[in-house]
Amino acid sequence: MTVAPRPSHYLDRPSSSGLVDVIDLILDKGLVIDIYIRVSLVGIELLTIDARIVVASVDTYLRFAEAVNRLDLKEDKSEGLPELMQNMRQGGARSKTKGALEGVKETVGEVIDRVTGNDEEEPEPKERPRTRSRTQRRERE
Amino acid sequence: MNGRAPADERACYVYGIVPAGADPSGLEGIGDPPVPVTLVRHRGIAALVSDVVTDRPLGTAADLRGHARVLDTVAAHAAVLPLRFGAVVRDVSAVADDLLAPHEEEFLRALEGLRDTAQFTLRAIYQQDRILRTVLTDREDIARLREEVTALPEEAAYYDRVRLGEMIANEIAAHREADTAIALERLAPLAAAVNASPAADGSGDQAVSASFLVAKTDWDAFEAAAEDLARDWAGYITTRLLGPLAPYDFATDAVAEAAPAEEAP
Repeated sequence: MTVAPRPSHYLDRPSSSGLVDVIDLILDKGLVIDIYIRVSLVGIELLTIDARIVVASVDTYLRFAEAVNRLDLKEDKSEGLPELMQNMRQGGARSKTKGALEGVKETVGEVIDRVTGNDEEEPEPKERPRTRSRTQRRERE
Repeated sequence: MNGRAPADERACYVYGIVPAGADPSGLEGIGDPPVPVTLVRHRGIAALVSDVVTDRPLGTAADLRGHARVLDTVAAHAAVLPLRFGAVVRDVSAVADDLLAPHEEEFLRALEGLRDTAQFTLRAIYQQDRILRTVLTDREDIARLREEVTALPEEAAYYDRVRLGEMIANEIAAHREADTAIALERLAPLAAAVNASPAADGSGDQAVSASFLVAKTDWDAFEAAAEDLARDWAGYITTRLLGPLAPYDFATDAVAEAAPAEEAP
């Protein structure tokens, strides 16, 4: 085997797992101990159930619809342009749509906050504004 | 008066099972401030535990991170069977007598089977614009529906928008399946076991989520293969590799395989 230095710039190697990754790894995986020796604590059951529900699929679909509607297809024709331009364009569009698909992570965070009582100062759980306006629109229909 | 909780409000938080020779020194567990992690031994095996107060809800971000941090730190140099987050037992004698003693044999065998391995988890995410453009190029019907939906006022097109999103989600799911197959084809030969079930996070732009149990001697080769994959996908898929981690995805099977035939965990 050759020991040539390997540039490692494409693969993201976080030194510690982010919260979303941690939730994925430890909430519904690993050994479960027998219930009769377990001390029950506030929050645990709720936490494990809610974190997996995350978002309804209609919500996911609407996010895709929004994201695809925001795509500027005219720009797509310039696909032979220098990479720099393409990167700039993608960067811009991505930051606009980021809120949509990252709602998922937000939700997981909110679940934890709610379960652990970290949001006590807030009278209502935070809701994504887009979801709210959509609901109102549906009601008007 | 001295600020300490009475004894009955404390319990024993269990992170995982390790060989009795494991060294927990320097490990900081859950809680604020974090408390030291110690071992409760029973013959050849031990549990990684720390004190926990039972009068506060468990599950803050710091708790979750603490649980993973303890297990992953240990996993880098010793075999460990991670417990699912939230395992709390009355006290150390219950850990030894009710958790370790009855399962001693299968824990021991499972740990032996996991020796000198760790889990690596690959999380790959589509770059949203790129995958959406690909979908529109490949599927004329979706591109057409998009045109129709865009032309209508938002209120009128609600159900069309849901349908549009659903079609896109299904098309991306097909890509996901194909890209997962590519990842497995390239990485599975370097792993002792694979678990490619999608992550619970369920976000629609996920390309691949797969966990691999990799022998220490193959860690470098595995990382190199993952790097090659990430390079080939650059600009289209963002690839992240976590690890070495505790074998979260493989512990249950390892114990089940080690268990006496008549007993299910």
